[in-house]
Amino acid sequence: MAGEKFSDGREGSLERVAREVIRASAAGEGEAQAAAGSPFLYARVRARIEEERRRREEGEGWLALLGVAWRAVPAMAVVAVLALALFLSSGTGELTPGYGLGAEALLGERDGDFEQVVLADTRTPSNEDEVLSTIIGEGENSK
Amino acid sequence: MDETADISARASAQPVLERADAELAARAREGDEAAFEELFLRHRRRVALIAARFFRRREQVEEVVQESFTKAFFALGEFANGRDASFAAWLARIAFNVSYDELRRQKRRPEGALEELTEEEAATLSERLRVEGSDAEGQAVSRDLAAKLLARLSPEDRLVLVLLDVEGLSVAEIAGLLNWTGSKVKVRAHRARAHLRRVLERFL
Repeated sequence: MAGEKFSDGREGSLERVAREVIRASAAGEGEAQAAAGSPFLYARVRARIEEERRRREEGEGWLALLGVAWRAVPAMAVVAVLALALFLSSGTGELTPGYGLGAEALLGERDGDFEQVVLADTRTPSNEDEVLSTIIGEGENSK
Repeated sequence: MDETADISARASAQPVLERADAELAARAREGDEAAFEELFLRHRRRVALIAARFFRRREQVEEVVQESFTKAFFALGEFANGRDASFAAWLARIAFNVSYDELRRQKRRPEGALEELTEEEAATLSERLRVEGSDAEGQAVSRDLAAKLLARLSPEDRLVLVLLDVEGLSVAEIAGLLNWTGSKVKVRAHRARAHLRRVLERFL
């Protein structure tokens, strides 16, 4: 019985002080008056509005660009499909050897001797003299 | 007779003011800067008072005022089409939501860490808790002490308790204000009170 009474009293105190704490924390009339009467407050609001407007316009610019890109994707896909269809319908669909970009096409006629000289020596020639002496040496050997 | 006329004039003054607010809002939406300034001058104190429910420092209060009016400016179209009959109520909702966002931001910042109570504050609190009865004498809880204690609650808890106990709003009004369900408001309020009691129990 006494324990229950103590517990009720304790709960009551906690509840009362809790409400007191909430009310005390929210009693900011002084700060509110001071803030509301702050000089240039409206000017700062206007500045913030302008800043926000600029930010939104920039965001809209990006969005417009994104919209254009978004619309371009299907168009590019259609072009790609048409190109593929054209390519397949024009022939066998295989690349002809003449169009290949092999080593011969890039380097012209193959020089067998030079290729052999270069590939025979695994040691990389370090300067021009070494290269020349290797070529001359190989020429004399072949004679 | 004169008294009756005076009362009815006062009663009709509020709708006239609201109508004027709605007209000013419509003009502001069309780009009339003077109209928006007039709205600012009319409602800045109320917005500052809402901010001061949650923040002690003047710069924080000013920050909420600026952010609330900026948000209101860009949302003027919503006011015209929305369910809010009163501009003041609509603006208050914005201010409460801005305060709530600011509380959450503050909670995330490392400098927003909990401040410890001074020995004197702990003693005051302990004394208040030991004295029974609502008319208990003794040193009242200071605002600094209250703020330190409430900083231990989550922003949601704090918001609900202020709306219930300070603003005196009903559960339905709070639900409408925060876009919560009624049961969420009730559960949150119950948990918030339990949490605050646990915080206070340490000083009992």
